Amino acid sequence: MNEEKFLNERFGNENPFRVPEHYFDEFPQRVMKRIAHQNRRRKMIRWGIAAMMTGIVFSSAFVLNNFRQQDTTLEADNTQYVEDALDYSMINNMEIATYLTEAE
Amino acid sequence: MINETRIITQLKDESKKEAAFNTLVHEYQEVLYWQIRRLVLSHDDADDVLQNTFIKAWMALDDFRAESKISTWLFRIAINESLSFLEKKKKNISISSDVIEDLTSQLMSDPFFDGDETQALLQKAIAQLPEKQRAVFNLKYFQEMKYEDMSQMLGTSIGALKASYHHAVKKITDFFQQND
Repeated sequence: MNEEKFLNERFGNENPFRVPEHYFDEFPQRVMKRIAHQNRRRKMIRWGIAAMMTGIVFSSAFVLNNFRQQDTTLEADNTQYVEDALDYSMINNMEIATYLTEAE
Repeated sequence: MINETRIITQLKDESKKEAAFNTLVHEYQEVLYWQIRRLVLSHDDADDVLQNTFIKAWMALDDFRAESKISTWLFRIAINESLSFLEKKKKNISISSDVIEDLTSQLMSDPFFDGDETQALLQKAIAQLPEKQRAVFNLKYFQEMKYEDMSQMLGTSIGALKASYHHAVKKITDFFQQND
């Protein structure tokens, strides 16, 4: 390729760029430090997610348990209301049963 | 020259991983740096990209399958990081002809550029090439890399690389013929 020959003859292929002194002596330590820092961050994030998930599981169990107790209380309240109403009307269970049987 | 098989085994062992990676950094930092530097031109930018290259390599170690040589794998990461960097830079500052026009004076005032004005002009001509073509030209012209090795590194066919290099050389020669 004549063009390549032209470039080689005019410019050669030497490296005109330079680096600061001791750059390659210090570089490995700098990059390994960044990697160690990255590893620590990843560990903290993993622990954080695990703690959050544990918290969500326990909170959900606590809330669900609370709801179930409220339902039981409501049912007991309703039964008591009906019995109080019957007392006020002075009707007993025998009279209710007789009425229902005669209605059929 | 490191023993590739041994270093790959050590990288898969949690207790030896960090020490083995440190060896990799020592072994390949210079050759990767110069590959990056020729693309990004400034030392500070090259330093950033080189650090990112090794950090990306560390994060991707578990995915390394040893289907290629570890050096080829590292070179590929370095090229991709350099090209991403250049793309990002292009979006942040519009690469107008004025910016490339300034490149010669920027290089001449760069304390880490030892070349004369002719060398600066060559860098300016190379900077006008599309990024991937620039990478191909630098690898072939300055590092005299074989097309077979380049093909593995860039994931491009040998034929396409030869064509790319030929076009790059033509464009640079035309540049000088127009500017002489």
